[in-house]
Amino acid sequence: MVVIGLGSPFLTDDSVGPQVVRLLARRGLDPARLVEAHAGGLLLLEELDGENGAVIVDALVDPRRTPGEVVIADLVSATRNASCSHDCSLAEALAMGRTLGLALPPDGAIHLVGIVAFDVTTFGETPTPAVFAALGPACDAVISLLLAGDTTRSAEYT
Amino acid sequence: MTQRITIDPITRLEGHGKIEIFLDDAGEVSSAYFQIPELRGFESFCVGRHAEEMPNITNRICGVCPEAHHMAAVKAVEAAYGVTCLPAARRIRELIYMAFFVTDHTTHFYCLGGPDFIVGPDAPPSERNILGVIRKVGLDVGKKVIDTRKRNHELIKQLGGRGVHLCGAVPGGWSTPVSAAQREEFRRFADLNVEFARFSLDAFENIVLKDETYRELVLSDLYRHETHSMGTVDASLAPDFYHGKIRVVDTLGREVALYDPKDYLDHVAERVEPWSYLKFPYLKKFGWQGFVDGQDSGIYLATPLSRLNVADRMATPLAQGEFERFYDTFGALGKGEGGRNLPVHHRLATHWARLIELLYASERMCELLDHPEICDPKVRAVVEPKAGVGIGSVEAPRGTLTHHYETDERGVLTKVNMIVGTTNNNAPISLSVMKAAKGLIHGGKATEGILNRVEMAFRLYDPCCSCATHALGKAPLELAIRKAGTGELLDRVVRG
Repeated sequence: MVVIGLGSPFLTDDSVGPQVVRLLARRGLDPARLVEAHAGGLLLLEELDGENGAVIVDALVDPRRTPGEVVIADLVSATRNASCSHDCSLAEALAMGRTLGLALPPDGAIHLVGIVAFDVTTFGETPTPAVFAALGPACDAVISLLLAGDTTRSAEYT
Repeated sequence: MTQRITIDPITRLEGHGKIEIFLDDAGEVSSAYFQIPELRGFESFCVGRHAEEMPNITNRICGVCPEAHHMAAVKAVEAAYGVTCLPAARRIRELIYMAFFVTDHTTHFYCLGGPDFIVGPDAPPSERNILGVIRKVGLDVGKKVIDTRKRNHELIKQLGGRGVHLCGAVPGGWSTPVSAAQREEFRRFADLNVEFARFSLDAFENIVLKDETYRELVLSDLYRHETHSMGTVDASLAPDFYHGKIRVVDTLGREVALYDPKDYLDHVAERVEPWSYLKFPYLKKFGWQGFVDGQDSGIYLATPLSRLNVADRMATPLAQGEFERFYDTFGALGKGEGGRNLPVHHRLATHWARLIELLYASERMCELLDHPEICDPKVRAVVEPKAGVGIGSVEAPRGTLTHHYETDERGVLTKVNMIVGTTNNNAPISLSVMKAAKGLIHGGKATEGILNRVEMAFRLYDPCCSCATHALGKAPLELAIRKAGTGELLDRVVRG
């Protein structure tokens, strides 16, 4: 299993992906391989190669939702967020990887945890208050998904 | 009344590019702009920090060019502190940097630029991608692309400390030396890179140059602008991505400047336009004449194409052969003043230039690894902070990248400025989008195929929109068509 925190650690609420990954590391549970990354597309494909499941944590801009809300989505919802304009979307990358025979997790084992962001355009290392408060619940959501995806190791997380 | 077309991405947050095209009552293009959103507070975020932090901060403002920012930042810190890099560390930096160029240029050609030629510019977007390339050319191509990225990322990870955001650079040196075992492994990687680059150039020859339709497209006036060219060169006036002097040649290939990167402000000024947060650099020698090309305009180009245009030669043998073939194909070999090549102004030739650079970077890796002192363990030096002004510059894949820092006696930053590769090309991109839009959109009709051909004018630069505003490298594209005057949205296309 791999947990990928997407985003810039220096762009206020866009930092939630890396921050969740760091929080998971500090919890010391070692539930999965933890990765910080900035770009989607082929880079994500390479991180997914050889894994049996993945959780991608990312900031989400959605004016219809409240900042700090934690949204759990499946791969279909996640692919647009995980595209890289310099190569391709995650969906294209996964299709390519499967065509090439890479050992990729099935679509059903790839999840997105999105945290609704308030400010992703100001440089800063601290998320806005509502988003900061969501980091813990987002970690819990990631662990729940890992548990659901790997029941044989559930004792390690509880 | 005028109409307006916009190409717009819906995806999440950061710095997406946006093309807005305004149509008049007759449905003809009255104007077109390339825009990016504003990201705030970069300078204030950096000022007050220790300069040594900058290689590891700036390498995370872009998801696509972290290596370029990492190198430019550490060079700027060294310049501010008045120190030089140890020779073995210098070679390690360049080795990593060449591996980065190989991955970046490979990705652009096969995922972005290539599909337009291999699958076709009028193919539906769902097919005009790397999957379409694989379907057309075969599985083997996909495997080669993935393997090339993988082995070069492995090199960067081993020597850079991390795969995605490397952290190996320290002022005066590099964190770890190259072991003998690594050298052997990386030398094999470099040979494979050379083989892959030659394969890619052969593919370009067979698929593009031998196809009359594509050849005409490359040579068409629609994608041609006469601007000045900029690039970094070594002492023999060959392109050097890591270090050298900045050379500028005019539209006829005559040298108009050859300067140390620290003197960039003597040669380049930045213009601000009310409709864009991105600055528009131009050459002071010619001044800002507006969004026009030609010999009198101050607009310059900083891309793989311009890097070839400023060069007198390539520093490696196979790349030199391709360089000559490139200019010969355009009838420009030795046809300029003093026997220099005439610059090539056909913008779609940038894709070919990128592949020649891919070959050069691969050959250069071989040279660096064959150097007898590549495994020299002396890669770190003690460096003391001091007050100073430091300018660090490299050629990023997308153009000349400049970091400018000022420090106090504790090494704390008091001023930060950057000109990134895409910023250099802001005005040329706007020119290209405008020309393509005016040439292709008539009577208010903009089909998917037409919009893609407008995008091709933009895509060949591989702009890093968010990087240009000092943010991330995930930058989708939005194209909107609007009525001029009212701004009413008539059509909208999003690329994610």
